[in-house]
Amino acid sequence: MRSSTLVFPLLAAAFVGAAALSLSVGPVQLSLGQVFSAITGGSAGGVSGETAARVVLTLRLPRILLGVLVGGALSSSGVAFQALLRNPLADPYILGVSGGAAVGAMTAKLLLPGDSFLPLPICAFLGAAIAASAVFLLARRRSGISRERLILMGVIIGAFLNALIMMMVALAPPGRIPGAVYWLMGDLSLGTLGRVGMLAPYVAAGLVLLFLLSRGMDLLLLGDEVAFQSGLSVERVKTAVYLTASLLAGTVVAVSGLIGFVGLIVPHGARSIVGSGHRRLLPAAFLLGGTFLIVADVLARTVGPSGELPVGAVTALAGAPFFLYLLRRNGRKP
Amino acid sequence: MRGDLLTAKALTFRYGDRDVLAGVDLRVGEGEVSVLLGPNGAGKSTLLKIFSGLLRPHVGEVTVLGRSPSSYGRREMAKILSVVGQDPPLDFPMSVEEYVMLGRFPHQGFFDAGTAEDLREVERALAMTELADLGGRGLHEISAGERQRATVARAIAQGARVMLLDEPTAYLDIYHRVAFYEIITRLKETCGVSALIASHDLSLCAEYGERIFLMSGGKVKASGTPEEVLTPGNVLAAFGVAVLCDRNPATGAVRVTPQRKA
Repeated sequence: MRSSTLVFPLLAAAFVGAAALSLSVGPVQLSLGQVFSAITGGSAGGVSGETAARVVLTLRLPRILLGVLVGGALSSSGVAFQALLRNPLADPYILGVSGGAAVGAMTAKLLLPGDSFLPLPICAFLGAAIAASAVFLLARRRSGISRERLILMGVIIGAFLNALIMMMVALAPPGRIPGAVYWLMGDLSLGTLGRVGMLAPYVAAGLVLLFLLSRGMDLLLLGDEVAFQSGLSVERVKTAVYLTASLLAGTVVAVSGLIGFVGLIVPHGARSIVGSGHRRLLPAAFLLGGTFLIVADVLARTVGPSGELPVGAVTALAGAPFFLYLLRRNGRKP
Repeated sequence: MRGDLLTAKALTFRYGDRDVLAGVDLRVGEGEVSVLLGPNGAGKSTLLKIFSGLLRPHVGEVTVLGRSPSSYGRREMAKILSVVGQDPPLDFPMSVEEYVMLGRFPHQGFFDAGTAEDLREVERALAMTELADLGGRGLHEISAGERQRATVARAIAQGARVMLLDEPTAYLDIYHRVAFYEIITRLKETCGVSALIASHDLSLCAEYGERIFLMSGGKVKASGTPEEVLTPGNVLAAFGVAVLCDRNPATGAVRVTPQRKA
């Protein structure tokens, strides 16, 4: 068991640093002092205090909050899927779960009137859960689920769902739903306090549920048989973990589109810091996931001379090589 | 023999259309070290899985302390019966101590994990398996033999009345094989823990086992004390190997030595 005294303060500090960076960087450059006064309602020099306040409060702060929820929830979902499947390569995006969520969310947007906030996350959750079960069932064989076969099925289902997404975008009435890039590459720019408020209860509920399941997930790492013989109601816990992980990934996709690999990279990073015990891993992965996505979003906003890069492109640029690294490393296991 | 801890009556189990167990009768008494011997595929692992509740028999009856395994709650069962089988996971970083602590699960509520008692039991289990110095090491950083001892330590920490062990000494050298049987004997003498061990160590089982069940073809072909079961005829019938059975001059236990084919 690792010494824990410094880990969480350091993770929190990294998170605050990333948030401060994200608040000050952009087309309108703000000093930390200006950011601070904007948040606290004081006056600041340089750019007019009013502009600074507007940029910080209505543009950047909601975006950061959305980034934290999305990054944290995707990472927690990744932790849960990895424990559920005993597969360190699992991630909601790679498993096709996020694609299912996007199709669910788009269906809700197309079929239901107005910008219906309540059914949207629910439909996304259902889409995620259905995609996950489809992948599990297709990957299952009598001898169990092999790691590579699972990923293969996830990729194939994901490709199919991406095609569905493209088709729905093409067939939708103009302006009814965001464009293909938003869905396929993810986007935090639509972050408003309203969306943050819509997402927050689902993410909070998902995190609490996962935390309550943390000791069950510890045992799942030992395999179903050993977990069963150690006193765990394996099927019940697995069902709960599967539904909760789908809820987290699904509701997040409904407001941010597909942002891949966060649920792959962050759990590994968090595990190397705090170990595999889920009571420490889950909070660490949430903090690290929020930090990671905020930084990725800063890069996405600032890397190009004009316009933004979708944040999902940044995470995929980092995530795909990382996936290959994990695949090679796991191939060398004794 | 005191009360029956485990019983099987006319037990049949099939994988597909193959009878893995074909009418097994067996009783394990409380406070005994019993051994399942038999060739690969004789049904030893399947029998252990049925006792732990993982598999349900197609025909026949099994009991654990007089009740069917499926009638127990999961935690209740885990406090009675622990299992040493599969190797620990290597995909996820975990220290030996964290792994052994997972054995305490049936004794813990959500908010009282890692109590002083849990830590004491983990420490005791690590000490008994000579892993105390490796507690902080990762499971992927130790040898296969050390990992096997860690699985035994996890079962000890679980604090059950009976341990089922499926080839627990497969990766162990002779020193640690002997040490393993000494641990089982010590658990029995100090804590009254019974054990049912599926094994291929004929002579070591004769030395440490009190009751032996010789299985082959899904049936128990012979049972009783090592002296009663380990005869050249029984071993030849079960394993197809000619052996010499004599007595260890130092301990008096049966000694089984394979004979080279002429």
